[in-house]
Amino acid sequence: MYPDAASTLLTFDTARIVSSSQQPSSEPTNWAGDMDRVARLRDCDCFMRIYDHFMPRLCVYLRGLGASDAVAEELAQECLLRLWLRAADYDAAQGALSTWLYRIARNLHIDRVRRERSWLQVQAAVEDAATVDMIERSSAEQFADQARLRQRINELPAVQARLVRMSYFEAKSHSEIAEALGMPLGTVKSHLRRAFLQLQSKVGGAL
Amino acid sequence: MNPHHHLHESTLMSYAAGALPAPLSIVAGAHLEHCSQCRQRLREAEAIGAMLLEQTQPAANDARREQLREAMLMQLATETETDLPSAARPLLQERPGANPDHLPASLHPYFGSTLSGLRWRWMAPGVHCIRAEQMPSLIMLKIAPGKCLPMHSHGRSELTQILRGSYNDALGLFAPGDVADLDEEVEHQPVTAPGVPCICVSALDAPLVFSGWLARKIQRFVKL
Repeated sequence: MYPDAASTLLTFDTARIVSSSQQPSSEPTNWAGDMDRVARLRDCDCFMRIYDHFMPRLCVYLRGLGASDAVAEELAQECLLRLWLRAADYDAAQGALSTWLYRIARNLHIDRVRRERSWLQVQAAVEDAATVDMIERSSAEQFADQARLRQRINELPAVQARLVRMSYFEAKSHSEIAEALGMPLGTVKSHLRRAFLQLQSKVGGAL
Repeated sequence: MNPHHHLHESTLMSYAAGALPAPLSIVAGAHLEHCSQCRQRLREAEAIGAMLLEQTQPAANDARREQLREAMLMQLATETETDLPSAARPLLQERPGANPDHLPASLHPYFGSTLSGLRWRWMAPGVHCIRAEQMPSLIMLKIAPGKCLPMHSHGRSELTQILRGSYNDALGLFAPGDVADLDEEVEHQPVTAPGVPCICVSALDAPLVFSGWLARKIQRFVKL
């Protein structure tokens, strides 16, 4: 379903006018409605709202992994272009849009920058297997999960928070973290384990 | 296959973060293919990454951002689905694990697609192995039934996914579908079950440390 040429132009013009300034709040946004319009109606305004939110964040993330400014920008643009082209593949019942984008960005980085040929093959195998998994969570439930997760990330003890960031934002392996911090490998693993259990979104109450 | 031994939470986080060394991520993938419980936890670990992404504080660089934005709008106007190679892959003909001769798909690039097609090399009495090409710390092992392996610990991390047969050690019984997620603090002495050989795929993040003469001999021989 595509809008005709004239209305496409109109949509692009409107999108240009929409300010790209950041939303002041860091509250996670529920993008399910916007994504639905992108997928069904190829709605450019909705897409650009998603773009404006995630583009600068993806750049920060990719630079953290060691990509240069130019490479980070290129990969982030490509991530979001994929989101546009494959919007119909996104299933809100399977997880938050940010998780979908995170996965695309991580995979692109491992494939293009680290050039690990094996990664995408393993990803494909695991994704194929995951087609039998039944996860149905309403977008409201997921939104609540996210809010809880956000709260719990902020409450992590300092050591755990540091190890979590080194893992996700610097892609450091356990042994690299152990070496960098002069910590036994087993201690790194048990700190990360405790962090994971504390962050698990489905568990009600404190752990 | 309903695994009883799963990936350690720290391994799932590292995998989700894209921080697991390649050989370990291949073995983790072989487990994830057969374990919906670990796939569920992996999704939670990925949600943590997504939340950290949300929480980044982008610096303001409005001129550059505006340029990139314009470039994206241009692309939206020109790109169509056909410009992107299709993400669709042929659907699996059968459920994972349905054919007992099938190896997990994650292993296909390194070991081929079937157990019966493996070309074993003798390594030590009762032990055969195959080393993955271009991935020296990824090996497939076949250990004769009722065999007691040398006591060893691990320099860093080892992940072992059991494909056939089983073994016992201090951590319990490891059967097909189970993964042993070990680190330097574990010294173990696996004993394979009688009946069929135990076939497993193993990835190491660092050299093994063996503590017996036979073990050291094996180590010298295979340069583990």
